Amino acid sequence: MLDNLEIRDPVHGFIYRDSHEREIIDTKIFQRLRFLHQLALAHLVYPGAAHTRFDHSLGAFHVAGGLAKALFLSDSDRRLVRLATLLHDIGHGPFSHVSEPILRKHALPDALPNKEESKIHEMISAKIILENDELKRHLGDIEREKIVGLLAGTFGDTYLHEMVSGPIDADKQDYLLRDSHFTGVKYGIYDQERLRNTLRIHDDNEDRVLAISIDGLHTLEQFVLAKYYMTTQVYRHRIRLITDQMIERGISLGIEQDKIGWLTSLYRYDGTSDFMKEYVTWGDDRLMSEAWHQKDSLIKDMFDRLRERRLFKCILDVNINDFPEPSTRSFVFAGPKDFYKPLEQRVAKEFGFNPHHVIAYGVDFPPATKTESQVPVLHKQTKPTLFNDESALFKSADQKIREQHFHIYAPVETIGDDKQKKKKFREYREGILKIIQELANPQQPLQFNAKGGA
Amino acid sequence: MKPTDFLLCLIDASGGAVAGRTLLQKRAFFVTELIGEDFGLKFDAHYYGPYSPTVEGTATQLKNLGFLQESSTGFGIISDGFEMRRYDYALTDDGQYLVRRLRETPTYKRISDATRRILDADNPNYMELSIAAKAYFLLKKKAATGMTVADLIKEAEKYSWNISQESVRRAIEFLKSVGLASDK
Repeated sequence: MLDNLEIRDPVHGFIYRDSHEREIIDTKIFQRLRFLHQLALAHLVYPGAAHTRFDHSLGAFHVAGGLAKALFLSDSDRRLVRLATLLHDIGHGPFSHVSEPILRKHALPDALPNKEESKIHEMISAKIILENDELKRHLGDIEREKIVGLLAGTFGDTYLHEMVSGPIDADKQDYLLRDSHFTGVKYGIYDQERLRNTLRIHDDNEDRVLAISIDGLHTLEQFVLAKYYMTTQVYRHRIRLITDQMIERGISLGIEQDKIGWLTSLYRYDGTSDFMKEYVTWGDDRLMSEAWHQKDSLIKDMFDRLRERRLFKCILDVNINDFPEPSTRSFVFAGPKDFYKPLEQRVAKEFGFNPHHVIAYGVDFPPATKTESQVPVLHKQTKPTLFNDESALFKSADQKIREQHFHIYAPVETIGDDKQKKKKFREYREGILKIIQELANPQQPLQFNAKGGA
Repeated sequence: MKPTDFLLCLIDASGGAVAGRTLLQKRAFFVTELIGEDFGLKFDAHYYGPYSPTVEGTATQLKNLGFLQESSTGFGIISDGFEMRRYDYALTDDGQYLVRRLRETPTYKRISDATRRILDADNPNYMELSIAAKAYFLLKKKAATGMTVADLIKEAEKYSWNISQESVRRAIEFLKSVGLASDK
């Protein structure tokens, strides 16, 4: 039963929650999400993008409630889906996803056996839901276990899991609209109401999965295009990628070079309750502030640059067309990333940069990501087909999203007028491509594409 | 071996091309089952049998990288709900260049041997391979309850696919011939 407990939201209008849900929202552990920006430092590019994980979690919770109603879920399933969505981001640390590679790198091996595959914020979310004392007071043991199981896909019907974690889940349905609203980029807008009302539960005798009616095909295409535009215009905006990488590098330098005790403890995930208690006290602003107070440190230097918006520049942006020789192309875009560090060091030496300030970064889309391709499309008279086979647009957008780039960022402060800048960037490009070629094929003669100035 | 190399080896061992992404999914599934190694593909139960988003994403990645060529053929709407458009994958010259290096590895031989077993088992088409894959998933899931081939045929009839008894029989024969099912 929903009480008249409303929250005014700029994206969805009024968000309603009952008194029990309000108690959970009012916990300290949930309120901390107000101090985690949804898009880290994207406000350095889009000044309006100051929204937080708190707003997004409430929005996703609202969307999940709407989906549950449209799909005629039972009261207990509806409650479970709403709560799971509300808590799905509870494990994020400072700067959200930007923190994750550092957490994975510094986690104790026993606490995180498979570092490559683990989504550590989801693991931490599960621990918080199961172990946090405040949440224990408001949610029973079985309910907390069900929430964790639903988020992980180990409890409940598949369609329930897909509502909270899947290609068209409540999370994405909210964040596309929300990020679009707050960045001011209109491309993320799609018809959420129509999408919600054309989703169906499809039973194939073994499993019940989330599907879409043929009437919603174009709405789902609109959703896919919204994701594509937001990815290219916002999530992969060049300055945003640079700021994310500067945060990550700054924190890594603070741990590995400055050897700051509190920072090392924050990222050395060991699964203990002591770690969790400390972890949840941190947000973006606190980490920023503490970093600025580390005198004569590399982390302070990097975070000063972020505060003053003295950002690194992209001195190399290459894609597959820049590497006609297949083994080099494979080396850069399909191989292990262990050449990044030696490349950074050689670039620093070649061009006189501080080696800590050269960042190699592969822009890609994890191949294992579940996309909308396998969503069943339900027809009125014939058997279901797959969205991938029905949509004229999906494959092009999906292929474009998966296009890989390789970037090098460095602190290029002042390099003269436009003519001098072009000359300098041409030198960077020629020099770095030569180094990559040598690293990929130490025994072979140079061969790379002359297009673009090399 | 990483997923990109696995797919390159699989397609090379299949004669340099695979006709249809459903066939690519199912062949990759059976090769990993026969070898007993996942190669990071993480197959999951799905409406049309085991499906790996990694196989799909990696094939697109290899296409973007110029190592695979994708061509499509339209078939219109098929009443049983399978692909209306078939996407075929073939190694490009650059893809073949990379595979030549991989052919020397022991893993290539294991992939090649497993692929050979599948191709030798009367080379079932993608639909029968899909039925076999879904049946095999069931077989594994219900192994503890002693499911028989006869039970499997009954289960397969429930898939809500419009399939013939003959297709089911051939799919089961395929499982038996590659050693993934028996009458006992």
